[in-house]
This record gives sequence, structure tokens and C-alpha cells, in this order.
Amino acid sequence: MASTKTGPSNVLTGLARARKGVGLGGRSEHKPRPPRRYSNRVITLTLLVFPSVFLVVLIYGYPAVGAVIQSLHNGNLVQTGPYVALQNYWTDFHNPVFWHAVRFTVVYCVVGVFGSWVVGLGLALLLRKRMHARSFFKTLLLLPWVVPVVVTATGWNYLVATPSSPVPHLAQDLGFGQLLFLDSPGLAEFIVCVYKIWLSFPFMMLMASAALAGVEEHLYEAARVDGAGAWQLFRRITLPLIARSTYISWILMFIFCIGDFQSIYLLTGGGPVSSTNTLVVLSYQTVFGDFQTGPGVAIGIIMLLVSVLVSVVLFRRIKKVAIS
Amino acid sequence: MNRPGSRDRNGVSRRKFLAMASAAGVLPIVLEACSSSSSTTGTSTASGPTGTIEFWDGEVGTGQLNTEAKALTEAWKYGKLTGSYDLLTGNIYEVIEAALAANKGPAVAGGYAYQAFQFADQGDIHYADNVVATMQSNGQYADYLPGLFTPLKTSKGYVGIPWGVDTRALWYNKALLAKAGAAVPTDWPSFLAAAKALKKIGVYGYVTAAASSNSAYGTHTLASFMINNGGGMFDEAGNVDCLYDRNVEAIEFLLELVQGGYVDPGSVSYIDTDVYSELKAGRAGMALANPTIPQECGTDPVTGDLVVMSPLSGPHGDKGTIQYLKNYQMYTRTPSIAGSEDFLLWWNQQFVGAKGFYAQGITAAVPIRKSAIALPQVQANPQLVKIINEWVPVAKAESARSPVIFSGLATVDNGTAMVQCIQSILGGKVTAKDALTTLQSGIQNYGISYKA
Repeated sequence: MASTKTGPSNVLTGLARARKGVGLGGRSEHKPRPPRRYSNRVITLTLLVFPSVFLVVLIYGYPAVGAVIQSLHNGNLVQTGPYVALQNYWTDFHNPVFWHAVRFTVVYCVVGVFGSWVVGLGLALLLRKRMHARSFFKTLLLLPWVVPVVVTATGWNYLVATPSSPVPHLAQDLGFGQLLFLDSPGLAEFIVCVYKIWLSFPFMMLMASAALAGVEEHLYEAARVDGAGAWQLFRRITLPLIARSTYISWILMFIFCIGDFQSIYLLTGGGPVSSTNTLVVLSYQTVFGDFQTGPGVAIGIIMLLVSVLVSVVLFRRIKKVAIS
Repeated sequence: MNRPGSRDRNGVSRRKFLAMASAAGVLPIVLEACSSSSSTTGTSTASGPTGTIEFWDGEVGTGQLNTEAKALTEAWKYGKLTGSYDLLTGNIYEVIEAALAANKGPAVAGGYAYQAFQFADQGDIHYADNVVATMQSNGQYADYLPGLFTPLKTSKGYVGIPWGVDTRALWYNKALLAKAGAAVPTDWPSFLAAAKALKKIGVYGYVTAAASSNSAYGTHTLASFMINNGGGMFDEAGNVDCLYDRNVEAIEFLLELVQGGYVDPGSVSYIDTDVYSELKAGRAGMALANPTIPQECGTDPVTGDLVVMSPLSGPHGDKGTIQYLKNYQMYTRTPSIAGSEDFLLWWNQQFVGAKGFYAQGITAAVPIRKSAIALPQVQANPQLVKIINEWVPVAKAESARSPVIFSGLATVDNGTAMVQCIQSILGGKVTAKDALTTLQSGIQNYGISYKA
């Protein structure tokens, strides 16, 4: 239905009508209503959004605010306790175990993100080529990601935990001596990082595969005609064209890594001698093991701030990539 | 097509509809929040309280034990009150703490030795003075071994009532010791000699479990050897005093065992069940463990090779080990205080008494009631009898050298400081003083204070 108004001052083009939100069944524009502070449209949209906002606030906002409050008090899970300002943060910053956990969290995140990315991208490139049973291999490679962590962690524990486990046994038979993978701090850190790469590479492989599918083959052909080698193709074409997806996968994997509690807790429990404690494991142990709720929650708040900071930096990077 | 502000045929505007829908969504949550405290604890009516006395049992026994316990609990009645039974698994401190934080939790519970003190400090415990008074009047109190109620008494009252002790004793494999030609250890030098002899036949002298989760024997080893030498993590007044000379001696002895290669090197990452596996497989000859280790290892406590030794004499002639006084406690969150007290008295008589599970032979926990100890089922187990006669009298709590148990021990027992200390000792690359300095600062960081 077209507008019945034909006067030049009242005629709206289709685009202008759309901008004003006046459609075919829209309110007649020749009856201007007195200006209102909140239009019906705004109120309706607000009400439509309200349930979602309410749920978000309930699920995320309430615990977050509660956690901030707890981090500023010296209490327990039942009672908030007296207000101590930033004392809990001060306690954490003066605890050497905290700084060890910071160090290992950084190592864990860096190795987890880039280690799994390298392996995942490599396998994605490999599986891009035509080969027999490609789907089978793809499915097989997804297993570490698909199988519940509790199962894989228990499996790895069985493989490496004790001197009589298969891997230390094999290492001894091969002449490496008695390797106690989870008993030595250095080896335990190594095993936890390897486990994380193993656990996470399928996700990176999926992300890389999806990104690689969008890279046109003719770009490679043109570059080859110009004499580009395999490394140049990868460096100058593949990497830039999958950069956006790569940054997103890094952000996601970073969030997975920094919040990864179950992998470490099930494999080593943070030991030996706190060597594999990440901040999230330390936070848990501080609250539920040492019953120091304030300092434990403060660790969680610190983690939250770091996660937000890193994510913002990487998102900005994505924007730059998108613009370029 | 409806427009903003338009009315449908029933005269309800979209805005009004959305408002009503939102209210309908929020209302149940608000109502639930308002009613949560009353719906979970029962109500009180003119004819008496109704609801359920939730009993959370911390004794993980045989399947039969827990089946019987559940049936027993559900048979209890007090007016209109009924009982329900749940078995606590995992970290009991965490389970109850989290439940209380969520305004849930038991009316009566068993579990770890120090949790009653911890939750009493938080105001969640109903003191058991009435129950103790009733037990004194009906003769139950006199049936207990002496001195077991006193540790549970605080300035505000009894935090719970005892039902058993969990005593750590040293066990050895008599077949392996005989094969190694070693005598049964009676003191530290003979313990070291036995470990050396076992090593010569390719067996580790000692095994323990010090993984960061699911292990307890490692920290028990740490505390036990300190107590064995007349030491302990606290001084007589309850202040943290890990660097006490006797403790240093004890850790030096442990380090000597580790550095000599007599301790299974996997102990750092073993969980408790790994200790059973190593003993069962004959890869280790001695261990500090709980009284049920023959059953855990699938051997017979009478005819099997796993035998409990007498308490070792320390270098200064002291004897001792770590022991946990198991107790039942009542919580303030209950539909009826009287109901909780009645249940506790009734349950204690049923379970701990001579007619209870000891008589049925389905619990191997160390009994503390004379009538239960006298049972033929208990007397038929020579290992249990030896523990009752020789180990229980010299055993102490984690508060040693302080004679008083206090709430901070829950943190020490559950916390990471002891675990990290024993892990570093089992790694063999620390000095005794360094390990104890770390333990001292770790416990001090908890900020716990002695409370009588």
C-alpha cells in the first residue's frame, strides 16, 4: 500500500520511510504526534531485550559482583566477613606460589595456543590435499577434542603417572633410565603442556581447515606462475588470508587455556610442589583447599582482568586485519 | 500485523503482553529465592515438626555397610520427622562448605575429624551438650574408651560426639621382610636397616602417596614421623612451630630414606590406591596406612602377609603417630533440633554400639567403645587389636604438640602446605630446614589462630 499523501513536503521516499521505521502498514505520517521522551518503539525494544539482559545479569553479573565483593572481604563461602580493601590482592602478590602460578599460566597459555595452532594448522594443510581415507583421519584426529577431558586425563595419567606405567616402562627399556614424568617438576610441566597441545590441536585444525577452504586456489596458481616457492606461498598468501580466523582461534584458545582447570587438576592436581599450578588451579586450591576465600577469589578477579585485556588487544588486531 | 502500542482483539497491548511475560518469567525466580530457606528444612506444625533429618555419612565402607546404613536411617522416625541417608564422597570439607554456602546441607553429618570445629567457628554447628548429657545418664558415655570426648569440647560446648578413630600405623609385608632377612623394625635404625635389606632384593623399603589430589598417606607420613619423635607442627600453646628440633630430626630421617633410594620414587605422584597396588604387587615392603589396608589389598588380616608392626621408638624414645578422631556433628540447619539430637543418639547406638555394624562385620573402622572392642568379630582381627592396644594410646592429632584440637586444623589438614612439603621431601632435593621453613610459612599464611 502506497502513501496517500502526495504533497511535496510530506512525501517520503522508500528509503526515508524505512529509516523512520514506517513500512507498508506503518502509522500514517500526516498525523504528527507530540514529541515523547521515550517512543513506543524504544519501549518495545527495551522490553524485548529485557529477558536476555536479565538473564545475562543474573548468570554473569551477579556472580561477578559477588566475587568482587568477596575479594575485598576476609570471609569464607558462608560469611562475607569483614571488609579488608585490597588486602587479599596484596596477599596474593606477596605469595611466591602465586608468581610461580603466573609464570606457568603464561607458559601454559603460550604453549597451548601456539603449540596447538602449529600442529592444527600443519594437519589442516596436510588434510587439504587429496588423499585416501581423508575423512577417516579427520574424524580420528578430532577424538582428543571430542572425548571428555576426564577420560583423556585419566588415560594420560595411566600412561605416565607411575614408574610402572607404560611410557616410563618403555623409556626405561629404551635406555633412558627411570623417567618419572609426574614426579619431577620440570617433566610434569612438560607433560602437562604436551597434553594440552594434544587436547587442543583438533580445535585449531577445524578452525584452520575452515579458513583454508576460503582461500582461492587461483591465488596460489598465480603466485606459482610468478615463481613463488612453497614457503612464500604459505607466508605471503596462506597466512595473511587466514589471519582473521587465526586471531579468533587464538583468542578462543587463550580463553580455553587460561580457564582450563580440569586438564591440570585431573593430571597432576597442580603438583608436584605446585610446579603445574596455573592461576585457576591455584584459585581453586586457595578457596577450597586452604579455605582462604578472599585471596582465592582475588586470583579469579585478576585472571578475569587479564583475560579481558588480552582479548581486547587481540580483537583490535582482528579489526586491523579486517580493515587492511 | 501488530504495531507497537496497538491492541489485539482481546484488548491487550503488546507492551502490556511483554510486561506480563517478563513478570511471569521473573516471578518464579523471586518466589523460589524467597522460599528456599523454608522448603529445604521442613516446617513446624501444631502437631510437631515435619520434614527430613538429612544425615550425610562420611564413612565410605563396603557397599554392604552403606546399604545397611541407608536402610537403617530411613527406618528412623521421630514424630513426623523421617531420616534420609547420603554418603559423602570426594573432599568432604568442600562438599559441606559449598552446601552450607548454598543454604543446603545436612542436619547431622560424619566425615573428617576437624570439620565440626571448622563449621562451629562459622556458626553452623549445634553443640552436642544435650546428647552428651543423655549419654552420660543412660550409660553410653561410660562405654567409650577414656579421654575421647574431651578433645571435642570447646568453650561453647561439644562440637560433636566421637564414634571411632582413624589411626595411621606402620605395616610391613612379612614374607618380603623374611625374604630380605630383615627383622621387624622396632625403632628408626632398624626401620632403615629393613629398608636397606628390602632394597637388596629389589623391593622399595617404603611407599607412600603424595599426589596433589586423592592422596593422604604422604601428609600422614610427614605428621606421623614428627609425632613419633615427640614433635608436631604446633607448640604446646597451639602456635605454629614447624622448625622444632624434633621435627627437623624426623625430616632428616625421611630424607635419609629418600636419598638412599629406599622410598618408592613414584610416591610423589601416587594416590592412595597406588600404595595398595604397590604393596599388593610386592614392589614395596612397608607403608604407613589405615587399619583397613589388608582388606584394601585383598589379603586376609589374619593369615595374609600384611602385618602391623609395633609403634617405632624415636631417637629419644618417643612413640607416636597421627590419628583422627571421627565424630558426628549436628548442624543448625535442621527442621528440628530435638529431632537431630534424637537421631544422633539413636544412630550412635545403632551404628557404633555392640549391636551395630561391628557385630555384622561390615565395618573395619577402629572401634572406641568397649562393648564393640569386646566383640568376637573385632577380637578375631589381630591387626585391629594390635592397633587398638598399641597404636591408639600413643596416637595424637595434627595439633601435636598441642593437646587441644582447634578449627584451624581443618585448613592444615585440607590445605596445600603439607602436601607441598612432603612432595619436596620425597623429591629428595631439599634440606629438612628448608622443607620445614616452607611448611611453617605455608601454615602461617592460612592466618589460622588457636581457639580452645
